[in-house]
Amino acid sequence: MKRGNIILLALVILLGVAAALAASVLHDGVSARATPSALEIFLARNLRHLAIPADARAMKNPVADSPEVQREARMHFADHCAICHGNDGSGDTPIGHGLYPKPPDLRQPRTQQLSDGEIYWIIENGVRLTGMPAFGGSAEQDSGGDSWKLVRFIRHLPQLTMEERMEMEQNNPKGPEDREEEKQEEEFLKGGQPQPSEAAPHHHH
Amino acid sequence: MKFPWLSLILALAVAVPVLAHGNKKHVMGTLEKVSAESVTVKTANGKSVEVKLGPKTMYVTKDNKAAKAGDLAVGQRVVIHATPKGQELIADQVKFADATAAAAHP
Repeated sequence: MKRGNIILLALVILLGVAAALAASVLHDGVSARATPSALEIFLARNLRHLAIPADARAMKNPVADSPEVQREARMHFADHCAICHGNDGSGDTPIGHGLYPKPPDLRQPRTQQLSDGEIYWIIENGVRLTGMPAFGGSAEQDSGGDSWKLVRFIRHLPQLTMEERMEMEQNNPKGPEDREEEKQEEEFLKGGQPQPSEAAPHHHH
Repeated sequence: MKFPWLSLILALAVAVPVLAHGNKKHVMGTLEKVSAESVTVKTANGKSVEVKLGPKTMYVTKDNKAAKAGDLAVGQRVVIHATPKGQELIADQVKFADATAAAAHP
């Protein structure tokens, strides 16, 4: 095939894909409620893979695993990550449901099969055009140690126990109203008297 | 090297990050009915609220110890965090105190 024909064919394919995407956007608008198509997922994952430098992918975790490292990372995850990913890493959270793309279930092979270096790189650098921010700071801030500990915790997520999950709930970010309500609920469970207004189902955002 | 650029252009065209709010409810009261599929909670204002139990429902004691659906019993005090689905409430977490706690402080 002549070079000109190849270019023409490539342009036709590109225009076809662009037209399909434009039709999709026109149909669904720019709502984040939608779920990415298989094509978008395929392209985004390949792009992310290609965007992570090979030497970063090959990095080994310099932080040895230990109960103390796990506990520290668990509390860190509960405070910084769980609002989108959930304490169990499932992504089953109100914010997670509203993101486009949805956060991945970190317990599943799709994440667990990434190298330690890839997971670390994603934590440190984030992923553009998703809800994943870059948590890496400057060299002075030394976020690297914390991120490597988080990699250890993400490896542990498929075996997270109920006790660990409950401990994390205590460390999830909460506003004054939530803390007050939590206190009232604890008092109720210990035998205290509920206020009538507390007994009706509460609506939470 | 065409593929990464194509991926980038297409990803830029379609990905838009947006935050959204959730919609959780808390139900607090005493268990008046317990079955494998749901519990009915009598709240302090006298209303009965049915909450469905599901495979993802977590059960914990008031001391944050792991428990199971079989540990629930009529008369126990519960605090249920639930997600509305249509007309139903689906329990995310059921936290309960054994009936002696309620009996000690009626």
